[in-house]
Amino acid sequence: MKAGVFAWRSLRREFRHGELATLAVALLLAVAALTAVGTLASRVENTLLGSAADLMGGNLGISASRSALPEEFPAQAAAFGLRSSHSIEFASVLFADGRSQFTEIRAVDGDFPLRGELLVANAQGLQQHIRAPARGEVYIDHAVGAALQAGIGDDVQLGGRDYRIAGELIRAAGGAVVQFAPAMMMNLQDAQSSGLLGVGSRASYRLMVAGEADAIERFSNWAKPRLPDNARLTTIADAQANLRTTLQRGENFLRMAALLAVLLAGVAVALAAQRFARRKTEEVALLRCLGASRNEILLALLLELGMLALPAFAAGGAIGLALHQAAFAFAGPMLGTTPAPIPFAPVFAAVAIGLAVLLGFALPPLLRLRDVEPMRVFRQDMQTRLRRFDALYLLPLVVSAGLLMTQSNSLTLALVLACGLLAVGLLASLFTLLVLRLLRAVGRNWPGALRFGLANLGRRKRLTMIQVTALALSLTALDLLAVVGPSLLERWRAELPADTPNYFVLNLQSDQRAGFEERLRTLGADNFSLLPLAAGKLVGINGKDPALHLGAGDEEASRRIEGEVRVSWSSTLPEANTLIEGTWFEAAPPAAQLSVSRNWMEMLKLRLGDTLTLRFGDRDLRAAISSVREVDWDSFRVNFFLMLDPAHGNPLPHSLISSFHLADGSSELAALSRDMPNLSLVDVNSILDRVRDVIQKVTTSVSWVLAFSLAAGVMVLLGALASTAEERRFETALLRTLGADRRQVNLAILGEFGALGLLAGTISGLGTAATSVVLASEVFNMQGFRPPAFGLAVVAVASALMVMLAGLLGTRRIARTPPMLVLRRGN
Amino acid sequence: MNAQSSLVLSADKLSKTVTGPDGSLTILDEVSLSVEEGSSLAIVGVSGSGKTTLLGLLAGLDRPSSGSVILGGQKLDPLDEEARARVRRRMVGFVFQSFHLLPALNAEENVMLPLELEGLADARQRAAQALADVGLSARLHHYPHQLSGGEQQRVAIARAFVHRPKLLFADEPTGNLDQRTGAAISDLLFSLNREHATTLVMVSHDQSLASRCQRSLRLSDGRIVTGDS
Repeated sequence: MKAGVFAWRSLRREFRHGELATLAVALLLAVAALTAVGTLASRVENTLLGSAADLMGGNLGISASRSALPEEFPAQAAAFGLRSSHSIEFASVLFADGRSQFTEIRAVDGDFPLRGELLVANAQGLQQHIRAPARGEVYIDHAVGAALQAGIGDDVQLGGRDYRIAGELIRAAGGAVVQFAPAMMMNLQDAQSSGLLGVGSRASYRLMVAGEADAIERFSNWAKPRLPDNARLTTIADAQANLRTTLQRGENFLRMAALLAVLLAGVAVALAAQRFARRKTEEVALLRCLGASRNEILLALLLELGMLALPAFAAGGAIGLALHQAAFAFAGPMLGTTPAPIPFAPVFAAVAIGLAVLLGFALPPLLRLRDVEPMRVFRQDMQTRLRRFDALYLLPLVVSAGLLMTQSNSLTLALVLACGLLAVGLLASLFTLLVLRLLRAVGRNWPGALRFGLANLGRRKRLTMIQVTALALSLTALDLLAVVGPSLLERWRAELPADTPNYFVLNLQSDQRAGFEERLRTLGADNFSLLPLAAGKLVGINGKDPALHLGAGDEEASRRIEGEVRVSWSSTLPEANTLIEGTWFEAAPPAAQLSVSRNWMEMLKLRLGDTLTLRFGDRDLRAAISSVREVDWDSFRVNFFLMLDPAHGNPLPHSLISSFHLADGSSELAALSRDMPNLSLVDVNSILDRVRDVIQKVTTSVSWVLAFSLAAGVMVLLGALASTAEERRFETALLRTLGADRRQVNLAILGEFGALGLLAGTISGLGTAATSVVLASEVFNMQGFRPPAFGLAVVAVASALMVMLAGLLGTRRIARTPPMLVLRRGN
Repeated sequence: MNAQSSLVLSADKLSKTVTGPDGSLTILDEVSLSVEEGSSLAIVGVSGSGKTTLLGLLAGLDRPSSGSVILGGQKLDPLDEEARARVRRRMVGFVFQSFHLLPALNAEENVMLPLELEGLADARQRAAQALADVGLSARLHHYPHQLSGGEQQRVAIARAFVHRPKLLFADEPTGNLDQRTGAAISDLLFSLNREHATTLVMVSHDQSLASRCQRSLRLSDGRIVTGDS
C-alpha cells in the first residue's frame, strides 16, 4: 500500500464528512488566533518600547558623572552604525534683571533629539518641534520664566555671559521623569566654553545612541565591560522601570488570551479527532482484514492529517496576519507615532504550537485505531476493548501543561490557569455523575421526548462526561476572555482615577503648614494628604550591625541601608497600604513600634518582632516591628518603607511632605514656590500622563486580542457542538422513522443539549469566578477583585442556549434528510 | 363490502429517479400495487432491483419522483415529512435487516421508543410485555451489544408490534441471521402478525420466507415482473 497516495485519496473522500473539516477549521482558527495575538502583542510591545525610546531620546544612554566619557564610546557606536548625541546636565544660577533662579540646565548638541521630540513654544504661544538651541540661545521652561519674570526675546545671564531666550521649553525627550527644579536648555558648545564645567562641577555627561536593535545590543555588550567607574548604562527597560507593572500586566493579559485560544482549539481538535477515529474504525478494520499492517495504517493516517494540517496552518497564518493588520490599523494610531514593523516570528511560533496542538490532542484517539480488530468487519457492533487507564490520553494534558509553561512567561500565570482548568475538569466530571444520577431518579415522569433526551445523557455516561468536561473547559476559557478579562481591564483603568495626586511638595516646615493648606484650599486642590518625614540612618538590626545581619552578597540591601532612610508616622493606616501581618499602632505604645513594607521585610530578612535601630541626628531610636504592610507603589501617593508610631515619631526633627491633585495649576504653583522658596515642588503630571497613556494603549490592544480569541473560541466551539449533534443523526433518523414529529425530535435535542450546556455553564461559571480571583491577586496584582457574578450567570444561561442552538443546527440538516437515506447509510 | 374500503395500502405508478455521476438512474419505474387490510405481501427480487426503495416509499420514509401512495386512507404525497411522521407513528411498524436498535438504549428502552413518542404513560409495562411475547423477559436490561443477532431482531420485532400498528414493514428481517435463527424469527413474525391482525409488507430475496406470505410480487430493474399488483 502506498501510504501517501492512499492518504491523499482518503483525505479527498473524507473531507466532505464533518470531522475533518472541523479539525481543519479548529487548527486554522488556532493558528489564526495565535498569529494575530502573537504578532499584535509583539508589535504593541515593540511600538511601546519605541515610544519609550522616544521618551528617553534614544535606545540606549550612558551617563558619566563629573567627567566626559572616553572618546572610544561614541567612536564605537558610529562603528556599529549607530547615531549618537552628547548632552551635559548641570545645575547653576540664572540671572535676569537682578533676579536669580537656581536652574537645572541641559546642554545638547545639534543631533539632539535622536528619538522623540523637543517641543518649544514661540512668543505667540505656538508649539513646534524643533532642534537644539543655536549658539547664544536658550529655551527656558515656564517656571524659570515666572521666577525671573523674563520672556522670549529677553536675555538671561549664566556664568557671566548673556543668552537670548529663543523659546519656552514645553517637553524634551530624555528629560528627568520627575522635574525637581525649573529647567533650561542650551547649546552644548556654549556650555563647554562657558567655564562652568571645570574641575569640581557636578555635571553629568550623557551619550545617547539610537539605531537598529541588534546594533544596540552589540554596542551594549561592547560597552558594559568598558564602562568607567563613574558611568552608568541605561536601557529602555531601565527607563521603563516605572511602567514595569503596567507592561508586565499587559503582557500577562495578552499571553492569557493567546493561551486560552490555543486550549480552546485543542478541545475542538480533540473532539473532532475522536469522532474521526470513531468513523474511521470500520475502514481500518476492513484494511486490516485486507492485509494492511498496523504501521501502514498509522502512517497513512498521519500523512492524511499532515496533508490536512499544512494548508490549514498556512491559511491560519495568513488570516491571523490579516486580522492583526486590521486591528493594528484601528488601534495603531493610539499606540504611538512610529509603528513597529510586522514581526514574523510569532507566525512560525503559532504554526509550531498548532502542530503541538494537533499532535497532542488528535493523536491519542488516532493511535488507538491501531488496536482495531479485523474481526470488526464481521460484527460491526463489536466494541473496541476499552482500557481502564490509557496513558496516551495523558498526552493532551502534557501538551497543555507544556504550552502553559512555555507560553505564559510567568510561572504564576501558568500555575493558576493550570490549576483552575484542572479543577474545572474534575468538578465537571464529578458534578455530571451526580446530576445524571439525579436525573435518573427524578426524570421518570417528565414528558416522553424530553425524558428521552435527558435519559440519553445518562445512557451515554462516558460521552456525556467527556462532553460536559470539554464544554466546561471551553466555556471557562470563554468566560475568562469575555467576562473576566474586560472586568479586570476596567478595574485596571480605574486604578488611576482623575483625582490621582499630580503634585508633591517636599520640605514643608511645620510652621508653614497652616498657610500652605490655606493656599491649596484657595487653589481648589483636592485629594490632599500630608505626612511627616524624618530622615535617619539604619544603624542596627536586632542590636547588631545591619551589614552583619545581612551577611555578604546582597548588594541591593547593603546599598539601601547605607543611604538615608526616610521615616514617617500616622495614627491611621495610609491609603494604598494594606496590613498583611500584625496590628496597626496603639495610641501610645510604651516602646517605639515600626510598620515595615513587605519588600523591605524580605530584602532585610526581617521578622515580626525584630528591632531596628534608627539614628536621627545624634539620637538613636530602637523600635520593634509590630506590623507588615503591602504597599501599592503604583498608586501615586506618598508611601514609606518604614512607618513609626506617632507617639515616638512626633518628637523627631522632621519636615512635611504633601501630595495633592490640582488641575492645570502650574502658574499658581510657581507663585506658591516663589512665596515659600524652601519648598520643593515635584510635578508628576508627565509621568502620570505617561502611565495613563500606556495603560490606555495596553488595555485597548488587550481588548482587541480578547475579542479575537473570543470570536475564534466561539466559532470553534459552535463547530465542535454542531458536529457533536451530528452524532445523533442515526437516532434522530430512527426516531423520525418511528413517527416522531419535529417538535418531539427538537424537544429531545433541546433537553439533552440544554442540560449539557447548563451543566457546563454552571461549572465553568463557578470555576471562572474562583480562577479570576486568584488571577487578579496573584498575576495582575489587583487585590479584592470581585468576579462579575451577573455576567457569569448570564454566560451560564447563554451557554445553555448556545449549546441548544448548536444542537438544533447540527440536527436540522438531518431532520430535513429523508430518514431512509440515513438508515441506509447505517449506524 | 367495498373492495376499496378494505385497502390499507395502495401505490399508483410510483417512480424513483436519482441523479448519479453518470446521469439519471431510474430505480423504480411506475410501480402500482395495493394491499388489503390483514393480508401479507412479499416483495422479492435480486439485489438492486429496487425492493428496499419501494418499501421506503410505501412507508413514507422517502418521496417518490412521481406517482402516489395511500396509506391507511391517507394520501402521502401532499404531506410534508412532519405529517408523514405522524402517519407512521399512528399506523406503521418496522423491522430492519440490520435491526437498527439504538446502541445506547437497553432492550426495554428500545421497545419503549414508539410508545414514548405517543406519550403513553404505561410505556414501560407494555414494553416489558412485548419483550415477554418475543421470549426476552430475561433480557430487559441488556444493551444491543450484549445480545445475539437473533435476540436483537426479537427486540426489533417487539418494538415493531408494541404500539399495535396497522401495517408492518419488514426489510429482509432474516437477512442477517443464520438459517435456524432466521426460521425462528420468521415464525415469530408471522405468528404475531396473525395475533395482532396486522398487515405485513415484507421485502426479501428469500423465496421460502416470501412463500409464507399470502401474495408476492417480483421486482426486476425497478419494474414488477410477476405477481398480482
